[in-house]
Amino acid sequence: MARYVIRRLALSIVVFAGLVVLAFVMVQILPGDPARAEAGRNATAAQLAEARARLGLDKPVIVQFFGFVGRLLHGDLGNSVVTHRPVLADIVSVLPSSLELVVAAMVINVLVGVPLGVLAAYRRGRAADTASRIIVLLGAALPVFWLGLLLQLLFASKLHWLPLYGQLGFGVSVPTLTGVTSLDALLTGDLPAFGSALVHLVLPAVTLSAGFIAVVARTVRSSMITTLDSDYVMLARSTGAGELRVIVRHALRNALIPVSTILGMQLGWMLGSTVLVESTFNRTGIGAYMVTAVLQNDLYAVIGSILVIGVVFIIVNFVVDLAQLWINPRLRGELARSRRRRRPLPALQGSPA
Amino acid sequence: MTQTRTIALAGRVRARRLRRTAPSVEIIALIVAALILLVGVIGPWVAPYNPVKVDIGSSLLPPSGAHLFGTDATGRDVLSRVLTGARTTLGATFIVLAITVIIGVLIGLFAGLVGGIVDEVLMRITDVALALPSIALALGIAAALGPSLTSTVIAVAVTWWPGYARLIRAVVRDIRDAEYVVNARALGVGPVRLVLRHVLPNALDPLYVQLTLDVANVMLVISGLSFIGVGAQVPSSEWGAMVASAADNVTSGWWALVFPGVAIAVTGIAFNLVGDWVRVRTDPTLRGGGAR
Repeated sequence: MARYVIRRLALSIVVFAGLVVLAFVMVQILPGDPARAEAGRNATAAQLAEARARLGLDKPVIVQFFGFVGRLLHGDLGNSVVTHRPVLADIVSVLPSSLELVVAAMVINVLVGVPLGVLAAYRRGRAADTASRIIVLLGAALPVFWLGLLLQLLFASKLHWLPLYGQLGFGVSVPTLTGVTSLDALLTGDLPAFGSALVHLVLPAVTLSAGFIAVVARTVRSSMITTLDSDYVMLARSTGAGELRVIVRHALRNALIPVSTILGMQLGWMLGSTVLVESTFNRTGIGAYMVTAVLQNDLYAVIGSILVIGVVFIIVNFVVDLAQLWINPRLRGELARSRRRRRPLPALQGSPA
Repeated sequence: MTQTRTIALAGRVRARRLRRTAPSVEIIALIVAALILLVGVIGPWVAPYNPVKVDIGSSLLPPSGAHLFGTDATGRDVLSRVLTGARTTLGATFIVLAITVIIGVLIGLFAGLVGGIVDEVLMRITDVALALPSIALALGIAAALGPSLTSTVIAVAVTWWPGYARLIRAVVRDIRDAEYVVNARALGVGPVRLVLRHVLPNALDPLYVQLTLDVANVMLVISGLSFIGVGAQVPSSEWGAMVASAADNVTSGWWALVFPGVAIAVTGIAFNLVGDWVRVRTDPTLRGGGAR
């Protein structure tokens, strides 16, 4: 078990190192002169040279690389040329808002995707299966950025059921405690503001979750078909257990093991997909921050965003893989056996193609 | 248990399946996909208007006989832009897929055949690339290269090849020690011939499946990047860029927003259906028990 954890940790570190190298390469190829950005537009040649020396840009690339790594490890992602603040501070202030959106989207994802997959598997080949297949197909093919605009057009502009954009209603404000608007409202006991925050979350969260529901429903369906056909489900049925109990307690519980891996990866992907959703709904967040940075050529902010999204992704996947040990007793057994027989470890979590 | 049953019923099931393998939905999807590809080729020639000609006088006209899909905020014909956009969007998608397949196959073959430390290093590189949300990574790279459709194509290709390298490597590792490959080697078959005649043909089926499904996936990323503003630039009629430019006038002209999005969605649905069909057709384990 310890070997598995160490090996998994080592893999995470390798991935992180790769991410850092990638970020450094991007600094090198990005257009624009970081020294000029640092010194300001009207800097004299001497000030520019001084900034260049301060940033270490006059040193060999390899020295620059280690300087870059050193600064990263100290949490220094450089300064944004737009906000004139450290990139890390900028990101820390917007990240909670993105996490709020991602968690909301994840809740919708699970609440819709899992039942849809179960229903499709249970009523295999019937109308419900076909209906779920159509939803899966739409989810996989509809562009999120377009879906967001359509939902705005329909539910906000035409029907006025939900707010068009923003995070709180007009004139409503909550103090920033955690940065998560809904949570802050709840913590200050401001229930109307909490309601407003939730209502503002609906459309962006639905938009963000659309593409992911398809994958969850598909995975649940195929994994449910396997468990529904299994001997233990037949046994459970033969003991006279109710159908709902058989489905939920016996079939679904086991079917959810592969789904949990997918959900973990999706959390990271959703954070990446916020670049297509947040700006549309005029929400603050790392996606909107990165898009602004890209459009304004704010190179350190772009690289910082990628690094932070990447790190969150690495951490989430690491945690999910460890959680697998707890969720899936079979994996624990396999690990114990592989150690005794000195066989290679079971494959680490599969990667998306 | 399922397996035994499947084998026992294989003959009957297959006979029934064969009659059902080409049901109407898949045939329609295939026809739609073919039509979309055709539009990609001939689109610019059949477009009724000049797709980039600005005509403020006829701004945001609703769909009518003269403009079937209406006009956008600058008076450009939306139908003409959707038709010409097929070439831009799908062209970029296919270029990405071509680059991706070439790099992926070469690296996958190399890693799989050489093995050892080379394999280890290459696979860790693919780990890094696969461990990141591709849209964010591609956005960063495209921004680094400067906004243009070319940068977008490069950026997406850079983030997309590892999946193919993994796929090919897995196939190579599977059959490297297979008897017929060992025999071919023993007969003195050279490495190039070995790869071309014995290894690659085995990799083609999963490759086709992945490619068809990726048409939709890559197209979504490319149009997404154009929507953000780092891809195709004004006045290009790339579908994602069209959605972005229509976003400002959503309430006064839904048609400029809806039609390019429908084009993306229909293309995505058609290629996904075709991809699923190819998968069921090429994977013998799926042929019996319905799509799993």
